[in-house]
Amino acid sequence: MTERPSRLIVIGENIHTTRVLMRKGPRLAVIDGVDVIKFTTVNGAEKTLTVPDSAKRTQDWEQGRVKHVKVAIDAAMQGGPEAGLGVEYLRTMAANQERGGAHFLDLNVDEISLKAEGQIAAIRWVVKTMEGMTKLPLSIDSSSVDVIRAGFEALSGKGQRTMLNSASLERLEALDLAKTYNAPVVVTAAGEKGMPDGIQPRVDNASRMVEAALQRGIALSDLYVDPLIFPVSVDTAFGPHCLEAIRALRLRFGPEIHITGGMSNVSFGIPARKLINDVFLVLAMEAGADSAIMDPVVSKPAELANLDRSSAAYKFAEDIILDRDRNCRSFLKAWRKGDLKV
Amino acid sequence: MAELSDIKNATIRAEVEEFVTRPEEIARNVALFTRAHERMQAIAAGIIDGDDDLVDKLTAEALKAGHEALEIMDDGLIAGMGVVGIKFRENFIFVPEVLACARAMKAGMGHIEPILSASGVDPIATVIMGTVKGDLHDIGKNLCIMMLRGSGFEVIDLGVDTSADAFIDAIETHGAPIIGMSALLTTTMPNMGKTIEAIIDAGLREQVLVMVGGAPVTQEFADDMGADGYGKDALACVSLAKQLIEAKRRNAPA
Repeated sequence: MTERPSRLIVIGENIHTTRVLMRKGPRLAVIDGVDVIKFTTVNGAEKTLTVPDSAKRTQDWEQGRVKHVKVAIDAAMQGGPEAGLGVEYLRTMAANQERGGAHFLDLNVDEISLKAEGQIAAIRWVVKTMEGMTKLPLSIDSSSVDVIRAGFEALSGKGQRTMLNSASLERLEALDLAKTYNAPVVVTAAGEKGMPDGIQPRVDNASRMVEAALQRGIALSDLYVDPLIFPVSVDTAFGPHCLEAIRALRLRFGPEIHITGGMSNVSFGIPARKLINDVFLVLAMEAGADSAIMDPVVSKPAELANLDRSSAAYKFAEDIILDRDRNCRSFLKAWRKGDLKV
Repeated sequence: MAELSDIKNATIRAEVEEFVTRPEEIARNVALFTRAHERMQAIAAGIIDGDDDLVDKLTAEALKAGHEALEIMDDGLIAGMGVVGIKFRENFIFVPEVLACARAMKAGMGHIEPILSASGVDPIATVIMGTVKGDLHDIGKNLCIMMLRGSGFEVIDLGVDTSADAFIDAIETHGAPIIGMSALLTTTMPNMGKTIEAIIDAGLREQVLVMVGGAPVTQEFADDMGADGYGKDALACVSLAKQLIEAKRRNAPA
């Protein structure tokens, strides 16, 4: 067994325009007939950000959710009366990520607009704004290379090295960008023509990415390999696929390379997601991962070591992750009985 | 009027009582299950329980006992899946359980399909499915395909990264009345709209219904780009496909 790394490099994934708050949750309120999002600033001041009508005309709102980060960025970029509050909101989120133990602040604005121009304008604005308000290095995250490029162009160049999230075989040009900007880079195991099926395609695709990066003169220690984590709700074999790929990649590339991944994908489609995410993270670290793309405010890295591995809840989660519980049947049964409290 | 207590199968009775809450759905399910033969109720219960072995066995037995394939499909398999859909929509059950139900459905359809096709009963319709250009994500699309096939549709799977031309070729080749497009990324979602435009340019828009889905896709977006419908998950995809096809057949000149 690979020794558990002493440190987990957290790519703090919360300043994302996909992020939602529940309308029924504690952060939403109606004050004087106006729907608002409540937040507490770094200095402890209680503030509210108005939910604009544009956000209320969405399906999300109808279904009980609001994309709060999008609301904040829209407010700030539009420069209306709440522009300052929008900026304050983002500053608060960044501070919370920092306090939670993030090592990078991942920024993704893909859902700000359906148009490339809108996404590019937003990433430029967010990069410039966040650079000045956090001590953390940024991570520029998009599924479009054009958006990533725009984000890097917006950097002052004076700050710390910014991460690029991500490059893969279908967009190798992102590696050239990483080289140009001397950026640590997430390389994924996605193939040119599709997602990897099983362990070996993950290892093969990821290895080709590592080779391609090395050829461009990117150092092994600047690579964050993401073997791709798929939801075990869809197929319980996905857990071992990812964990075994991590093991093989660590063995193949040694201690210098980083192994990461969007850990919370694993629990999509099942309840008790935090439990599953935490157990998966422990198992991934044991297999050789030393990084995670995650929200450290929700899953606290420092608490992982304290997980009670002999608890029934841990066992149930471990069983679905290691493909020992067909259709997650026992897990869901235990959840319904209320047996999954940690 | 049939009452809930008239449903003979205890599992079905309990399931409908506990999980079906909308009045029109209660009425529909009570009417359906009080009318359905007890064997059909047992098959539906097997579907709801996600027990593929049981459904396999009960379907074979029902055929042997002389039940029509169509009866088994409608009153057993599809009736059971209807309850599954309601439970999933109301968050009583989760993805792994729906998949188990879909596998049970597949086990039953394995007996039914050959009989239906041999006797000239066509599938409900053919659906062409693909993830749009630039997008390699297929987990959601594959779930939709599994549910569609389980519900009696024939599906042509174009896979991922599907160009507008590939959709158009498939529409022409298979004469399918419906296509379904999927996207997981905001950056690839506009390719749905572009594909619809290409279908219009190819002069095929009149003959094909377009449904769309995927995490970032919404009803508003579907409306904006001129799709005929949006489904928020795999079960919604099946009911949408059914609705679209029924509406099309109702409106078609006889």
